[in-house]
Amino acid sequence: MQNDLPKRREDEGLSQGELAEAVGVTRQTINAIERNRYDPSLELAFKLAAHFDCSIEDIFEPDQDN
Amino acid sequence: MTTTDTKSKLTRQRYRGIVYGIGGLAILGLFAGFVLDQHFTGTLIYLIGVWIGGGIAVLAPAWSEATLQDERDWELHNRASGILVGITMVFGLSILPALYALEAGSYIEITGVVSGVILTLSALFLLYGVCFGIAKRRV
Repeated sequence: MQNDLPKRREDEGLSQGELAEAVGVTRQTINAIERNRYDPSLELAFKLAAHFDCSIEDIFEPDQDN
Repeated sequence: MTTTDTKSKLTRQRYRGIVYGIGGLAILGLFAGFVLDQHFTGTLIYLIGVWIGGGIAVLAPAWSEATLQDERDWELHNRASGILVGITMVFGLSILPALYALEAGSYIEITGVVSGVILTLSALFLLYGVCFGIAKRRV
């Protein structure tokens, strides 16, 4: 699943570690999400959307072949 | 922007280092016991080490302010377990019946060690089935 998490995070001036702490996961998980190597759970997706004050669909986009 | 005070919190790296370090020492102690013919001492070191290391592995995430384990860690463990079960099942289903058939035809003899491995794997599969049923009921 594609996402624009790196851009949103950098726009807020946050490091991966700071964003991870804000939503209660490890830095490695944020890194894996940003590199499209891990799709977050629904709960985590909602937390990320709430943190950036947007909807889940604003952050995440399914891959074209899905 | 919040700052992270890593000096007072148990960090993820430190947590993993402690758990793996204690576990490694426990295993070394066990092997040292075998080598030095001090089996009881080696076993004691191993038991103390794995209980302390295991206790930290389980309790630290609950007690620490920092996030030491998260959903991705659990998914990786689940995936690894699934791959392990899959490989073992393929191995078991494709090879073990052939072994029994060959033994029945007196082409080979299944030794006690091999029989023990087969029984252990069978018991693990049964246990996996029970655990799967428990997990399915709780979801």
